[in-house]
Parts: sequence; C-alpha cells; structure tokens
Amino acid sequence: MNVFLYQDKDTFFHRLDPRTKIFILLFSFFLTIFFKHPLFLTGVALFMLIHGYLSQCLVNVMKLKLPILLIALFSIITWGLSVKGTTPVWGRFTEESLSYGLAVALKLDSMIIAGIVFLSTTRNEEVSSGVIRLGIPYQVSFSLSLALRMIPTLIETATTVIEAQRSRGLDLQTKNIFTRMKRSIPLLAPIFLTTIRTTNQLAMALEARGFGLSKERTSYQEIGFTGRDYGVFGFLLLVALLVSFVLLRG
Amino acid sequence: MDSAVSVKNLSFRYKHGREKVLKDLSLEVPSGSMLVIMGRSGAGKSTFCACLNGLIPHLIKGDLEGKINTLGLNPHDCKVADFARLMGIVFQDFESQLFSTTVELEVAFGLENLGIPRNEMKARIEEALKKAGLAELKGRAPSTLSGGQKQRLAIASALALSPNLLCLDEPTTDLDPQGKDEVFTIASGLWKNERKTILMVEHETEEALQAEYIALFQEGALKEFGRTREVFSNIDLLKETGVRPPEILHLFHLLGDYPLPFTKEDAIKRLDSFLLDKDLSSYLKDADQEKVRGYGNELIRIESLHYEYPTGVKALNDVTLSVRQGEFLAILGQNGSGKTTLVKHFNNLISPQHGTVLLKGEHIQEKGIGEICQTAGLVFQNPDHQIFCERVEEDVAFSLKLLGLPNHEISTRVDSALKAVDLESLKHEDPFSLTKGQRQRVAVASILALRPEILILDEPTTGLDYLELQRMMELIQHLNQQGHTIIMITHSMWVAAEYAHRVVLMKDGRIIADGKTREVFSNGEKIKEAGIKPPPSVALSTQIGFTALSVEEMARCLKRKSA
Repeated sequence: MNVFLYQDKDTFFHRLDPRTKIFILLFSFFLTIFFKHPLFLTGVALFMLIHGYLSQCLVNVMKLKLPILLIALFSIITWGLSVKGTTPVWGRFTEESLSYGLAVALKLDSMIIAGIVFLSTTRNEEVSSGVIRLGIPYQVSFSLSLALRMIPTLIETATTVIEAQRSRGLDLQTKNIFTRMKRSIPLLAPIFLTTIRTTNQLAMALEARGFGLSKERTSYQEIGFTGRDYGVFGFLLLVALLVSFVLLRG
Repeated sequence: MDSAVSVKNLSFRYKHGREKVLKDLSLEVPSGSMLVIMGRSGAGKSTFCACLNGLIPHLIKGDLEGKINTLGLNPHDCKVADFARLMGIVFQDFESQLFSTTVELEVAFGLENLGIPRNEMKARIEEALKKAGLAELKGRAPSTLSGGQKQRLAIASALALSPNLLCLDEPTTDLDPQGKDEVFTIASGLWKNERKTILMVEHETEEALQAEYIALFQEGALKEFGRTREVFSNIDLLKETGVRPPEILHLFHLLGDYPLPFTKEDAIKRLDSFLLDKDLSSYLKDADQEKVRGYGNELIRIESLHYEYPTGVKALNDVTLSVRQGEFLAILGQNGSGKTTLVKHFNNLISPQHGTVLLKGEHIQEKGIGEICQTAGLVFQNPDHQIFCERVEEDVAFSLKLLGLPNHEISTRVDSALKAVDLESLKHEDPFSLTKGQRQRVAVASILALRPEILILDEPTTGLDYLELQRMMELIQHLNQQGHTIIMITHSMWVAAEYAHRVVLMKDGRIIADGKTREVFSNGEKIKEAGIKPPPSVALSTQIGFTALSVEEMARCLKRKSA
C-alpha cells in the first residue's frame, strides 16, 4: 500500500529545484493570508487548482476531498453563526458572517491544496536536500523527512490493530463519541508499542549504515536552479506586483 | 585460519534485565566463511550480533564484559557508524529498515553518510543492486516491493558500503517460501563468489544446510560449533538445543542407518536397501478417509467470491470453498495470493463485494459482531497487535467483558482458556514480560475464551523457535480433537503436511488445489504452480511411490530389506 502523496510524474513542476517548490508553497500561503474578500480568495483557490492540474496531482486532491469539504462546511457554519453582521439572511446567519466564513473556508482549503500539491511534486529526500541548502542542519531536515516516512507505517499498524481488536468483538461503529473514545484504548496501546519498536529498529538500521559519521555528507541527488526556476521566480514577482497594485487601489 | 570475528568470554545483561543473556560466550568466525547461528529464542543469538558492531553497548544499554574483535576493531571503542564500511547488518523486520522513496536513494543513503563523491556513488549503487538482483527495480518505491525484494534491498544497502562481513539477523523469518529462497541464494552467493564473511541467525534448518559452519547457542553460551555436516549429523544434540533436525538426516537417524546421508541423491541411493511397508501405507490412506467421515455440518460456505482492493488489484477471483465442522484446514500460497484476504471474510472483517459468505448457513453481513466472534475467531499473526492489558488474565477477559457476560462466567472461561494454552501459572504476569511464544498463546487464549466453533490462525508459528512451534501446533491439534474447526494460514510446509487434514493451495487470488493433505502434496504439478516446495521427506517419499507427511511417518513405512 502506498500512502505517500508523491506522484512520480515528469511535469514542469516536478523538475523544479526543491527550493523553488518550497518558495511556491510559502508564496501560496502568503497569497491566502493577504486577501480577505471571498471573490479574490476564489481566484487564489483556482490558482492552486491550476497548479495542481499542471503538475498532474489533482488525484491526490480528490483523494482528500472529504476533509477538504468538511473543513469548508465547518468554517462556514461556525463563523456564519458567530460573526456579527447587519444584513440578516437566515436565522443568525448574516451576509457579513457568511462572507467571512466563506473566506476562511477558502483560505484553509487553498493552503491545504497548496500543501498537497507540494507533497505530490516533491520527494521526501528532495524536501530534505532543499531544506539543507536553505541552511537548515542535516539532522533536523532528516528528522523531518523521517517523520513523513513514519506516517504510512503508522496508518498500516493502526489498520492491523483495529482489525485484530474487531476480531475480538470490539465494535467501533457506535454512534456515541464517549463510548468510542473509551473503546479506542485497546487500540492505542498496541499501536504505540509497535511504533516504538519500529522506531528503535529504524534507529539501529540508520546507525549501522553510517548515519552521522562524516561531517561532509555528500548527496546523491543533484539540485540546482535552472532557467525553469528563474522563470517561476519571475512569474511570482509579477503576481506579487499585481497583488500589491490591487491591494493599494483598495 | 584468521578470524573475521573473535569473541572471548562475552557476557551481557540488558539494563533492567534480570539475567545475563550472554554467559561467557567465546566464538571465532573464520574469515570468508558462511556461519549460521541456531538455537532457541532467548539463547542470545541476536544479542550476539548486536555486540559485533557496537549497537550494544552504544544504542542498547547494559553490562557488557569480555573481549570482542570485529575485523580488527573493538566495538567498545568505536561508534556504530564507524563499522558501516566494515560490517553490514540486516534485521528481521525489513519494513523498519527502509525509509527512502526510491530503491536507488535507499542504497545511496549509506554512501552519502560516508561522504562518497557522487560519480563513484552511482557505480557502487548499480553494483550493489546488481548483486542483490534488483537492478531492474532501481526507480521503484520500496513500499511497492514484495517482502523478499525489500529484504534484498536491505542487503543491497549494506553491500554498497562494501563491507567484508555481512550479518543477517533472522532475515527470512517474515518472508514467504519464495522470499526465503531469494535471500538465501543472495547470501550464499556473496559467500561463494565474493568471499564475504556471512554470519546469519536462522531457524530454517533446511536452508541452513548451505552454510559452511553451524554454531548452536544454548542459554547464552556456545554449545557446539563445527562444519555443517558434522553438527547436523548429531540429531540428539539438535533436539536438545531446540533446533529442528534436517529431514533427510533425521529420517536415516530414525532408520538407524549411519553415517547419515547429506543430499537427496545420496538418500535415494541409500533407500535401495529399504522396502515400503504396503500394509502400513494403505492403512494411513484409510485413516485419512476415516477423518473425513467424522466431519459434522457445514460451517462456512463461500460461493464465487471476488474481492478487489481500491487500488484495482484483484485479491480474490472467483473463490468457492466449503468448510465443515471438525476440519483442520491449511491455506498455502505465496504472499499476495489472497490467503489473508480470504480468511478476513470468515469473520466479516471484510464484507463480500461479490459472491456470498455463509456462516452456519446465514449471510455473514446480517450477523452482529458479537455473534460472529463467538462463531469464528481470528488470531492475528503478531500478538503484539492485540495485547494491551497489564495482566494476562485481563487481556483474555477483554472480549468477554465486551459481550457483557456475568463475572463468574468470565472467570470460568478465562481459566479454562488459559488452561488450554498452558499459561495458568502466568495469569497474573504482565504479557509484555513473556516470550514471543507465550504471547502468541495469550493471543490464542483471548480468542478461545469466546468459545468459537471455528478457529482461524494467520501464520501462528512465525518467529517461534522449534520447541515453541511444536508446542503451539500441539495446542492447535488438541483443540481440533476437541471439536474446534481449524483454518490456518502458514508458510511452513512441513507444519501443513504434518498437522493439517486438508490443504487449499492459492495463487493469484484463485484456489488451484483443494483436497486431502496427502493428495495435494503428492500433486507435484500444482505444488510447483503455487510456487512452493514440499518438505524434503514428502518429496522424497513421493518419489519412491508413497507420499508420507512427516519424517516419522516415512520412517515407519520403511523396512530394511532382509539380506
């Protein structure tokens, strides 16, 4: 089972230097922070989707459509009910509160989609070599990529443990959330212990393969800026100028 | 003779451990040899390996005494990483040794750590992958490989650093027969062709026959060391140290015909002086038939069952199967042939997508989880995936409490379940302080307490030593004799041959053979199609005209020709 998001494709975005991809990700975050109006934010969200389309990883966005939709729904409802406005629409919902809720929904979802696109176009190892080149120590960036590596293992362990306990008659499909929480104890202990054991094994395997031996660690992957990357930077600069222009004009 | 590893008076006690795991152990591993270390669980085999490159005492703490010399270095004075280019180590759990997103980058990891220049790295990666037979899979994600391929990748990652010594700690325990074969072929190839020193911990006696030397560990000390042939000829010693004797040697030991032949060819020649006892062999066949007559009602009926994973992989393809009360059924096949997917349908962990699953004549989807688990109990492969309580008895009582049974009923059932698995004396213990074999029995007890008519076991003997394994199988056999229907998945062919009454062979999601154990094992074609190898005694006896299912059975069927 492959739970990694990375899509092994050969698109323009896949071929970018990881640092450029990290920059695009940060830039996307900034865009979502700067805008406040749902209309502009729809534009931003579209921008993310186009990015996803061009890097052929909308499959992953589709895979996670349920949480994405839930987050949108949740923020529209909570903000719609809690923000005060002057133009009533229905019950406690007002035009202002709904617009604010929608904006938050678009912001969060745009960030999530940007994150998905980043992880779909960038290998784990690329993330760490990019981060190293940005001046972050190897140990830190490697821990980061190991954490990412552990997620699928954790999911797999959890799946097996759930099945094993279901075979002993543990019914997790009850509606009551408190009963469910109580019943998750038999799951947490085995998952926790299995994960600790895996982590210990991993630590031994890393040491045995010379982890932390040489100060001058070499890298098998070559990264470097090419015309493509400069093109992206140019484009983003243009977008930034356009955004500042729009924001200044109000 | 110079030694790659030289250990003198080695003792080790784990921090918080009560007893020493290694007790005054001395051993020399000859340079350029292939040595297999065997012995019971807890005999100190893995501990010994971890001492050689300093994992003990640097990562695993405890009291270490004695002298160790690994390729001229003393692990005590070096870092573990210093050994990376001298000694490669491969562990049983291949999943937790791999962490990269491509095969190529996985092998590159060690080289990067050593600071090897990029252009040299490329050549070394390619060479290592070639030796491990993975050159074609360079760009694949390790998570998409088979178990055998993953373990070979772990070997390749160690090989890239061109160590002189390769230490493999139970590398094949979690693999299917094909994977086991692949790993042994690579390991013995590295010894024969590359003159590498291979040090291997292993339970599989038949595979260990390829080694040059065997070391038998017993309770933390070296019991015996010698050439493979000599050590394996001492059947009594093997039994004493908890090692399963190689079948062919064991057979001739039982026949009292010495010196024991080492190869199948020798064995066949030597069998010329024996006759097949026709009466006994036909009696055994009748006895097989007798068992079938004793079966009761149909408990499970599966009709044209299909199952497709969300990824589009077809795990089951038109499977039809019927299991009656009292049967002892073994499901055999390579990993990915659909065995586990099939048994997960028996207790509705997977609901049928297409086709029907009837449990005692009713559609399984219409039954509640409480009813199902009291009819069909599934014991998972790894007991650590289900044990969570602080005391053995609590863990066994868990499912009974879920059912809401009265307290006196719970304690009666817990006691009888623990009695059945012979763990009564440990009922107040912490399950995590027990051995793997004991934990496996706790897992069986916790299912038994539900009193299911059908007991399904997914690889119940994986990782157990020979004595624990025999004990587990005797337990299962006993439960079957008491009326439980047994369905067991196993990769151990001799276990299936010796204990099961019926065998189902699976391949690519289909059942390719289903019949009495003796009949299926005598069908060489189907066995081959499923990609498995019958145990040596079964193959040998089939060749001389009667399929015996164990060494003992074969020995009983042979009579010395009177001169």
